[in-house]
Amino acid sequence: MSYYDGRLLLTGLLTTLGLAVAGGGAGFLFGFAVALGRTTRSRAMAPLRAALFVYCLVFRRVPFLVTLLLVFFVCQSMNADLSTLVVALITTGLIATAYLSEIIRGGLESVHADQWQAVQALNFNHWQALRYVIVPQAWRVILPPAVGFLVMFIKDTALASQIGVMELTSAGKVLGNKGLPSMLVYGMILLLYFLISYPLTRLGRRAERRLASTRNH
Amino acid sequence: MPLHFGPILEQWPYLLGGAWLSLKMAVLAFTGGMLIGLTCAALLQFAPLYLRRLITSYVTFATNTPQLVQIYFLFFGLPEVGVVLPPLGAALVGMTFNAGAYLCEILRAGILSLRSAELEAAEVLGFSRIQVVRYVMIPHVMKVMFPSLSNQFIIMTLGTSMASVFGVEELTGRAENLGAETYLSVEAFSVAAVLYLTLSLVATFMLIAHGRLMYRIKARLL
Repeated sequence: MSYYDGRLLLTGLLTTLGLAVAGGGAGFLFGFAVALGRTTRSRAMAPLRAALFVYCLVFRRVPFLVTLLLVFFVCQSMNADLSTLVVALITTGLIATAYLSEIIRGGLESVHADQWQAVQALNFNHWQALRYVIVPQAWRVILPPAVGFLVMFIKDTALASQIGVMELTSAGKVLGNKGLPSMLVYGMILLLYFLISYPLTRLGRRAERRLASTRNH
Repeated sequence: MPLHFGPILEQWPYLLGGAWLSLKMAVLAFTGGMLIGLTCAALLQFAPLYLRRLITSYVTFATNTPQLVQIYFLFFGLPEVGVVLPPLGAALVGMTFNAGAYLCEILRAGILSLRSAELEAAEVLGFSRIQVVRYVMIPHVMKVMFPSLSNQFIIMTLGTSMASVFGVEELTGRAENLGAETYLSVEAFSVAAVLYLTLSLVATFMLIAHGRLMYRIKARLL
């Protein structure tokens, strides 16, 4: 292990974190929008609801690797000159949006229908209803599974190594190809993933315990 | 960007064969994982402390590291100590190792949901041990576990695509081959994506039907 090997690992680690944070962040943002779109009830919104439903269905039932390669080849055939990192970011964003929108939708729908009616009776508009009544109750339901999803998601970003993104797994492959013992290298990579993932798992469990006790129905 | 699905769709038996291998791998790994999971979950109930600690650390380790890197370790790392696994073998061992940990968690939650009062009540009613298992334990435990178990199976079916990285010619691997031969990668992977979607929907549908018939679990499709 030289200084440069260490730097490679550090870069990889940061890229993995970046992929997960950017994908998860985009997923939360767009997922919330998708979830809101899917909770609309008006007839005019029916085509939108159908489109969002298909989107969520497809991206949750096609493997990460296949989606990644598909996005990669689509970008390539459109002559879009994107770096592999950007391709990976698009993919993680697409997939995280699909998963998180389902989690967020579940949370929003867990708020009792009476609450929606009460808010309407109080003459809140849709935005105010969400802001002051629905989301404060829904986030307790949303947070634990969302953290659980992020834990899964960080591990899934390992697949980005397949299109050549220099993240943690790729860094391991490079070190292995340089002739360092594979067992040592991959053992180290596993350990590094564990160090990212384990605290988050613990956090998720704690959130689950603490939020469950204060949930009021 | 003109799309040409013809040359890919001509190869449908080849792709379907890949999907079949994917499904077989998922079933094999799930069965193996179930054996590990059952053993671990049972041992967690009454084994001595050191064994329980060992099982907990296995579960924590396997669920907090990527399956891909675990298989890398098996495929590239183990030959250094003289254990050479073929690609399919390494992928299957890795998937089973991973599934065992997740299934152990699910099964443990199921066991914990049982209450001793329930079992005592069955005993008072004169149920034999086998009857207690058949009529009280399994229906109750299944109601708690079945959705998670189905979910795990679907995740594993999709997870088999990882094996293509090591050269296993399952659905993703075959789509890659077709894309490389015909230069129609977008089409090849689109068809593969549709096949994965179909595969997982069929599996979900069958699992829900099974749950309804066997354990009277009401679950919605999708």
